[in-house]
Amino acid sequence: MSEPKLIMVVDDDPDLVEAVSMKLESKNYRIAKAYDGEEAIEKIKEEKPDLVILDVMMPRKNGWVVCDEIKKDDGLKSIIVVMLTAVGDAVQSTSYTHHEGKTTLADDYIPKPIDMDQLMEIVDDHVGS
Amino acid sequence: MSADKENPTEGAAEQPLEAAASIRDSVENIFFRPRLLVIDDEQRIRDACERMLSQEGFEVACAPEGEEGLRLIEEMHFDIILLDLMMAGLSGFDVLGRVKSLHPDTVVIVITGYATIEHSIEAMKKGAFDFLPKPFSPQNLRLVVAKAIEFIRTLQDIATEKSRMRGLINLLTDGVLATDNQKVVALANPAFLKMLNCPRTSVQGCPVHDIVCEPVLLDMIEKALAQPDDSLVQITEEIRIGGAEACEEAILGATCVPFRDRLGRNLGTVTVLNDITTLKKLDQVKSDFVSMVAHEIKGPLNSVLMLLNNVESGLAGDLTDKQSEILGRVSERVKSMVSLSSELLDLAKIESGLINQEKEELDIAALLAQQADLCREKAAAKSIDLVLAPPDSPVVAMGNRTNLQEVMANLISNALRYTPEGGRVVISAGVEESFAVFAVTDTGYGIAPEEQDRIFQRFYRVKTEQTRSISGTGLGLAIVKSIVETHNGMIQVESQPGKGSTFKVYLPKIII
Repeated sequence: MSEPKLIMVVDDDPDLVEAVSMKLESKNYRIAKAYDGEEAIEKIKEEKPDLVILDVMMPRKNGWVVCDEIKKDDGLKSIIVVMLTAVGDAVQSTSYTHHEGKTTLADDYIPKPIDMDQLMEIVDDHVGS
Repeated sequence: MSADKENPTEGAAEQPLEAAASIRDSVENIFFRPRLLVIDDEQRIRDACERMLSQEGFEVACAPEGEEGLRLIEEMHFDIILLDLMMAGLSGFDVLGRVKSLHPDTVVIVITGYATIEHSIEAMKKGAFDFLPKPFSPQNLRLVVAKAIEFIRTLQDIATEKSRMRGLINLLTDGVLATDNQKVVALANPAFLKMLNCPRTSVQGCPVHDIVCEPVLLDMIEKALAQPDDSLVQITEEIRIGGAEACEEAILGATCVPFRDRLGRNLGTVTVLNDITTLKKLDQVKSDFVSMVAHEIKGPLNSVLMLLNNVESGLAGDLTDKQSEILGRVSERVKSMVSLSSELLDLAKIESGLINQEKEELDIAALLAQQADLCREKAAAKSIDLVLAPPDSPVVAMGNRTNLQEVMANLISNALRYTPEGGRVVISAGVEESFAVFAVTDTGYGIAPEEQDRIFQRFYRVKTEQTRSISGTGLGLAIVKSIVETHNGMIQVESQPGKGSTFKVYLPKIII
């Protein structure tokens, strides 16, 4: 049996990271956690997760920039990126639109507040066994 | 001029009283004492006219010939001149020409001795108001003078109206521009010129693009003039002025409508500018605050909810029944806090969207019928009789379609929610004076008098035995009131506990 997939959860709200991680762990995924964009990039390079759940509005480096860095790095670009966006207001501060996020950069997105079942489905679709 | 055989003043004392009273009333209706000049070479006529018209309240001057008459005319302004056409020396025609160039508004009545059509026509062509053929009776004189007074009064009414309007418009702090249908400026008040930083003071009669260089504004005027007579849309835009080094940026709310004649043809446009810079800045502060609330309250609450759900579903170990029950109650409370913060966000969004909104002519009764149809199912589910009373006459008001739909939907759904099964909800529309009115009446629980003022406050909810189980956040009526107020309207409630309530919305009719 292959090793469980590694999912990294990135959000500046530790309770959200905890809640999502608990759920993923219960479904036998391995978990890594990060709480801002810089930390996320460092850990992604180190741990090479299979999928990253990435918040947009974060201190130090926002989610779109992190996503861009992943997708432009030949060693990382195969990592699946799922953006967490509060559609409509959180995206204004970046030059990316929600639409670009889905089709040209990130592999998928899920709006906030998170529907946990929907998130699990997305994760299973991309990396589930 | 002595061809007359008849004494023109004969029988002056026996004139019927009504005729005398009617001129006197007209004379008194003029704000000042009207001045009248008699130019005639016949002493008898001068004296008789002077005597009679002084009694009627005129200030009368007389001149025996043209030269003397002209001297008086150059000295002062007369409202009416009675002018003999045929006099020795300067003729009546010469005097008439001179009067018209000196005082174009003076009303000249020519007295013609040999009442020939030719002379009268010539005098009328030269600007005489009327003619009085000799010989004339005091009654003839009264009639022709009364007609002249009527004419002067009309001119004066127009002048008064014009000056009152000018005073009013010049005092306004909102900018006002009126153009004709050739886009020529008919009027622009100082506030308008100041808002657009136009250095000119005299702008009447010049093409509108001479004083307005904002393309948005010119386009609005163009669109207003192009409106067909079967529609009337109030065009609304936001215009940003300045913002370069020296002057601070101003945000102006501009509204433009065409005005029409009785046949519905566009005669011109009226544009009103109001400075909404402060409002916009405040709104920015508010929306920043609101997104902060969203991020700082809604976000964490949602995370808490997710954690709770994990625990509830046993991800953190098995739970006793009691623990599950308590966690269930906690989740419900957190959920209601989340939905409250969402509604608060909605309210803020609606309110910021209400500043300077596009309004159009709306058929209120039709809009009401649409909203009632959307609620039929809900009414049927509670066996409530939902009645739409047809209006007697068309009910039309200027409004924003989406917002008024929201108002109607809100009032109807409230009526359905607060009316017990088997009740009745009546929806009606009508016209009351200058308002289009619509009302929603129910046979529901009613609202106690002391609660009636408070129901429009945000988050306020009436809690009684019957209404306790009805859910809501208490924002619906606050939203309704905000919308009605941005339409310059009012909302009223009449209610008796146990009998029912009527919510009545008044919207100003289109007055164009």
